[in-house]
Amino acid sequence: MLLIIIAVNLSGCVKIETKRYEASFLDLFDTITTIVGYAEDKEEFTDHAQMIHDKLMEYHELYDIYNSYDGINNIKTINDNAGVSPVKVDQRIIDLLKFSREAYQLTDGKVNEAFGAVLSVWHQYRTEGLDNPDKAEVPPMEILKEKEKHTDMNNVIINENESTVFLADPDMRLDVGAIAKGYAAERVCEYAMEHGFANGMLSVGGNVRTIGRKLDGGKEVSWSVGIQNPDLESAQTNLYILGLSDYSLVTSGVYERYYTVNGKQYHHIIDPDTLMPAEYFLSVSIVCRDSGMADALSTAVFNMPFEEGLKLIESLENTEALWVFKDETMKSSSGFENYIKK
Amino acid sequence: MIKKNDVILLGTILLLAAAAIIFINIRKTDGSRVVITIDGEEYKTLDLNKDTTLTIEVAEGAYNTVTVKNGEVDMTEANCPDKLCVKHRKIHYNGETIVCLPHKVVLQIVGGEESEADMIAK
Repeated sequence: MLLIIIAVNLSGCVKIETKRYEASFLDLFDTITTIVGYAEDKEEFTDHAQMIHDKLMEYHELYDIYNSYDGINNIKTINDNAGVSPVKVDQRIIDLLKFSREAYQLTDGKVNEAFGAVLSVWHQYRTEGLDNPDKAEVPPMEILKEKEKHTDMNNVIINENESTVFLADPDMRLDVGAIAKGYAAERVCEYAMEHGFANGMLSVGGNVRTIGRKLDGGKEVSWSVGIQNPDLESAQTNLYILGLSDYSLVTSGVYERYYTVNGKQYHHIIDPDTLMPAEYFLSVSIVCRDSGMADALSTAVFNMPFEEGLKLIESLENTEALWVFKDETMKSSSGFENYIKK
Repeated sequence: MIKKNDVILLGTILLLAAAAIIFINIRKTDGSRVVITIDGEEYKTLDLNKDTTLTIEVAEGAYNTVTVKNGEVDMTEANCPDKLCVKHRKIHYNGETIVCLPHKVVLQIVGGEESEADMIAK
């Protein structure tokens, strides 16, 4: 591997034609991951794509709440030891939980890593409902209310000196689904940039992080990133196309993951106040630099009435949002237009 | 000083790299095709200019039906649990994909018209 990297660095002195490549993976974060970048040849790009994939895989295993891996203490390990004992974990888990805490405070609890007990009930009912649509049911509110008693963030005890995490409430579960993909994408993009990946894009399940610029016939231009039309059957794929360079764009929508009970769709973004799928919008998109923050904000703002979300977004620097209401009308924050590609 | 074992090691690394990558394409604008992959293995390539319907038996009891019509590709049927692939709109732009995650089936357009967007946030 070292040989290849040296060869690339040497040839960097000479002006060389680069081609645009794209690679996709299905084995990360239960979704499709796509990497776009430039290289002189397929081998060079494969090295970069492989590096990004392997780094993402490390995060995927650490942040997994459903599966265990040999020799790794991950978030599932923390959950399995709730009320039992502190678990020694990789610093990257502690960093994620601290980031999540910041997001919790910023969004007044609209994203909560300790919400796993409630989310796991929805996950179970959704999975069963998809497997057996005729018997699909909505979780009874009594069960959800009971689980809600075990979502107090203060019972997540992080001990940085010992590198341990302990859930003091035995019925509590961590769920980092709202932030892990974006957070991991951000960390991995930083890593890739330090390792020679200068211009490209990373999409983890539609959470897009751009790196540098697009090389378009000798010119450098910003990347064109579309915002998915929530109406998946519409011929118009994108609501808007934004020009982004080193920025992230994350959309949370009702169409991503859902199941149907008696003809009504129940999507996967659960409002911590009502314990039901948030009912305000079809989708919310966030533009900002940090992909972890974009991920967290897209979930949080999706769970807030428009005025509250707008106030939050306007209070943040270099952060914009687009709301799509249930009647398909749209509203956006004050600086959103500046990102629209004409 | 390259030894035989180094070559074998390098070869193995490259092989592993190739095995982990599902598909890679260089953007071209020649005749558009749809490349169908199942769990990373290329299964079949269809010409977008020839209308056809293909039912893929992914595994025992698991199937996806791909339809090519008027230069567009659609997943018209599948017995996966979420059916998100069937609900997905038809595709025809270079690089566009329809993914059936439960069956690990990916339809990707290669060649043909360039989309306005390099990527879509969803």
